[in-house]
Amino acid sequence: MRRPPYPTVLKPYGTALLELARADERIVCLSGDLTRQCEVDLFRDELPDRFVNVGMAEANMIGIAGALARAGHVPFVHTFGVFATRRPFDQIVNAVAYPNLPVRIVGFMPGVSSPGGPSHQAVEDVALMRALPNMTVVDAADATEIRQVVPAILDHPGPVYLRLKRGEIPVIFDDGYEFSLSRAQRLHGGRDAVIIANGMMLPAAVVAADVLADAGIDCGLLHVPVVKPLDAATVVDAAAGARAVVTAENHTVVGGLGSAVAEALAEAGSGARLRRVGLRDTFAEGALTAHHLFQTYDLTTQSIIDAVWTALGPGGPTPVAPTSPAAVGEYSPV
Amino acid sequence: MDLKPESPAVLADRIRLRAVRMVAAHGLGYLGQALSSAEILATVYSGVYRPGLDRIVISPGHYVIGAFAAAAECGLLDPATLATYGHDGSHLEAIGTERSPSIDLTCGSLGQGLSGAVGFALSDRLRGRAEARTVVLVSDGELEEGQVWEAAMFAAHHGLDNLIAIVDANDSQVDGPVTEITTIEPIAGKWRAFGWHAEDVDGHDTEALATALDAAVAAGRPAVVIARTSTTTGLSCLPDGTDGHFVKLPQELAERAATELEARLA
Repeated sequence: MRRPPYPTVLKPYGTALLELARADERIVCLSGDLTRQCEVDLFRDELPDRFVNVGMAEANMIGIAGALARAGHVPFVHTFGVFATRRPFDQIVNAVAYPNLPVRIVGFMPGVSSPGGPSHQAVEDVALMRALPNMTVVDAADATEIRQVVPAILDHPGPVYLRLKRGEIPVIFDDGYEFSLSRAQRLHGGRDAVIIANGMMLPAAVVAADVLADAGIDCGLLHVPVVKPLDAATVVDAAAGARAVVTAENHTVVGGLGSAVAEALAEAGSGARLRRVGLRDTFAEGALTAHHLFQTYDLTTQSIIDAVWTALGPGGPTPVAPTSPAAVGEYSPV
Repeated sequence: MDLKPESPAVLADRIRLRAVRMVAAHGLGYLGQALSSAEILATVYSGVYRPGLDRIVISPGHYVIGAFAAAAECGLLDPATLATYGHDGSHLEAIGTERSPSIDLTCGSLGQGLSGAVGFALSDRLRGRAEARTVVLVSDGELEEGQVWEAAMFAAHHGLDNLIAIVDANDSQVDGPVTEITTIEPIAGKWRAFGWHAEDVDGHDTEALATALDAAVAAGRPAVVIARTSTTTGLSCLPDGTDGHFVKLPQELAERAATELEARLA
């Protein structure tokens, strides 16, 4: 696994989907008027016969996708996370999740990665999708993982919600990384505390764990790209013996990764103190940059360090996260 | 398919009789939906819908009672199973579900079926199944849901000429007549404005329905038949002011209803 700043690539998802679709005629690509933004202009340009732009009609798009899946196609549905989940929620329930159909709903621009205000910030999409029976929920962290998630979910028998960062995608993992739909990724162990993160918060979690290690905290790091079904056994095992568990997600702390981990630890009788880094049951705001929003809403490397430090209560000054502004073409944690 | 030899008009009363018996077991239920759609279903199952080749979508899940009755009359469903309709543990639930037999898609949450039908029609196009049709029953109350018009726009833009919708315009929704809740007229004008071929007919006249459906098949674009119906047609014994959305059918009234229909079918 690399350390920041990370190189970035463009359209790892769109490239992976196109590669898969060239070899598999079952795949149909649906877009809700956000084709380039969701990287599927690649698909549209090369496989136009299997590309359908449904326009700004998300409810209809989900209904069409459900019927296509019923008829044996594998529809991949694309729009921003807010429009993919909030707007057609009842349609996802009735046309996709309840019939347990292999529709892949891909929501871009998660959490506060959009400076566009609450209308565009998918801060509760994981909670909504996680609440649905049959639904698998994936919050991918980097380009290496995304390239593996796409083929990994192709033949999954039920529906999948895949949450993806928009635009420049960091390369965090080496080529040897192996994504699994059933296993969480134990990046390194630690006896004092464990940080559990996914999606856009993984880079911050990596740095936070390093800073804490330098400060004498034996800090483990667990990457959980699949929020549902949660690999509870690995979560509980990673937390065993640790005095503090800190989750980090670009999402409200209600119903997402932090909630899933809390449920798993509570049911296992874990005695670890839990702190959740995420939006604290609040909508965010419009701004000029996402960077500002991550700082405003305490979704930074320092937020994770603070959470671990206060949970452990070792005394002394809290370690300070390094500031490493990324050069053009690089990606750094906030 | 081995259709019964009777005319669609007779088949419609057979559907009514089946529905009366299914609802009678509970004393109340979605009988009005079966009464208003009896001729529609009879005409559809007698011609335009070809099981095994075509798809049939019942968008308002409350109408599944009529679809079950029609399927049983047409040899597509064991008539004995109708006795379980709406009972605990039955696959024939009162509002359509994933377990509902004899139909390709049904929606308990209203306004979603046309999108599903569009998906089926799109699939047939993608697979080169040029002969296959998708027939979808929509209710007039559902036209209050915006998703119906999203789907209508999509179907016309993409020229889905293998898609046939039938609107059961029975002027009934939970809180009363549709006309008193929201003005949805002119129904045919709306569909035409959305790019569809539209016919507006007496939904209890099987000959008019058959002619309209033939025209729909030949239209060369998505086509809709607006079928004007009522939720009490075909049963003169129902009291005035019967709530067509959820008909009360106590045992004595159920017996009179069955007798009336049996006499007409005799």
